[in-house]
Amino acid sequence: MIEFRDVQYRVGGISILKDINLTIPDGVFAAIIGPNGAGKSTLIKLLLGMQDPSEGKILIDDSPRDSWLKHNGFGYLPQREEYDRGFPATALDIVLMGIAGRIPWGRRVGDEHRERALSIMQDTGIIDKAHSPIGNLSGGEFQRVMLSRAILSDSKYLILDEPEAGIDRHSVVSFFKLLKELNDAGKTVITVSHDLHTLNKYSNFLICLNKTLHCHDHSELIDQQLIDKTFDEHTRLIEKDY
Amino acid sequence: MPGFIIVALIGAILSGISLAVFAPYVTLRRISYMGEALSHIAFAGIAIALISGMNLTLGAWIFVSIVALLISWLSRKEKIQEANTITIFLSLSMALGIILISLSKNYAFDLSSYLFGNVLLISISEVWALGILNVLNILFILIFYKELFYLSYNPEMAKVFRIRATFIDYLFYLLLAANIVLNLKSAGIILVTAQLILPAVIAFNLASRLGWIILISAIAAVLSALIGFYLSFVFDLPTGATIVIVQASMYALSFIFKRRK
Ligand SMILES: Nc1ncnc2c1ncn2[C@@H]1O[C@H](COP(=O)(O)OP(=O)(O)OP(=O)(O)O)[C@@H](O)[C@H]1O
Ligand SMILES: [Mg+2]
Repeated sequence: MIEFRDVQYRVGGISILKDINLTIPDGVFAAIIGPNGAGKSTLIKLLLGMQDPSEGKILIDDSPRDSWLKHNGFGYLPQREEYDRGFPATALDIVLMGIAGRIPWGRRVGDEHRERALSIMQDTGIIDKAHSPIGNLSGGEFQRVMLSRAILSDSKYLILDEPEAGIDRHSVVSFFKLLKELNDAGKTVITVSHDLHTLNKYSNFLICLNKTLHCHDHSELIDQQLIDKTFDEHTRLIEKDY
Repeated sequence: MPGFIIVALIGAILSGISLAVFAPYVTLRRISYMGEALSHIAFAGIAIALISGMNLTLGAWIFVSIVALLISWLSRKEKIQEANTITIFLSLSMALGIILISLSKNYAFDLSSYLFGNVLLISISEVWALGILNVLNILFILIFYKELFYLSYNPEMAKVFRIRATFIDYLFYLLLAANIVLNLKSAGIILVTAQLILPAVIAFNLASRLGWIILISAIAAVLSALIGFYLSFVFDLPTGATIVIVQASMYALSFIFKRRK
């Protein structure tokens, strides 16, 4: 279970996230929606420990975030990953990053890890490129690599920041089906997405965010009114700010 | 061959290898300016050691280590313009070093030997120190191979996937500092900087797996030390500078064999 308690996040006096009170129960397929700049990625980075809240608390499985992170990790797919195209790594190497933290020092990645990584890459449809240098991958291909890595990390939480970005229309559905399978197998999935149409079918917990929360609940259907409210607020913010 | 030349040759080879195994990481992490910066900063350390009567190498190592750890910590804490900060540190330390040395009125101290280095002046105990350093370097890389790989790929993501990047980053900078300081006397500031880049870029042209890249980098360093030594004697040239010219020529040659990517 993930809880945000009165979380505020400010950068240089500017409020980016405000009054976030949120409980995400285990086992849900949660979708975070909101317009560009709403703070979706920031919310995720706070959860992952990549940034610290200015105020408030984040609890994971009833422990404070930092103490939970000492013994556990998240499966994470970032919205953007900075890397050097000339870096001497193959797609498989990057997927194996998901498990490297659990292999003791001095030990190499074993065949059993490699096999598991390859079987996940089969599921995400990137097995053909397993031995390609990362510099040769397209955006959508790299996205599949990052999804494989998140899955390989074997966390009970899968946190995905726009996983469908760069994925062709046809594959988006199989992407979400795969996530749903993982969810059915017991993983809590939390995904940021702009694909409201597809989300509607798979997600069962909606988080509407636009600097502050507009909804966070089990909802079988995405409510058009809530969406309007989430996205309208943004329009008003723009008018106010500029 | 006179004994001191054999000692110098072994010293040049060990010095080359020690910098060459770090060079691929330095290049991949885009911190090749650290070689130049830390060797300039070492200069201030040497000056402080000179004034306080400490062992020069030890004094420089302590000083450079502190600064290196500070840079590592700062760059993780703040998303600062790392290169800018370091350039400020660099000029400041260099100025400090020059002032301190001039104040100490220690005319016996040969400043130019630290700028340009002289491998022929290397002592047997320094060769031993380089040997031990090489063992430490190789152990470090073997033990933390996968951690260093992912740390170089992307430190932020390495942390998310629970790779203990911070601790290893500190060790990395401590060893890098030791490598720079111990090589300063034989190679000098300018050659240390070159040897932290050239062997790696040669290797990047020839291989695509990190393990091979490190090995080829080390081999390139050994070859250039041997060839450079030989040429410097035949044509009576300064040894360190000749080694760098050989490395640069090898780099040009490596483009012929560059793997098509
Ligand atoms: N380090 C930072 N410094 C200043 N402002 C920041 C920083 N990080 C994020 N912001 C601001 O915070 C707001 C939220 O950013 P965030 O990336 O979380 O949005 P998002 O909802 O993920 O948007 P998108 O849909 O475009 O990915 C933006 O207005 C952004 O400019
Ligand atoms: Mg975002």
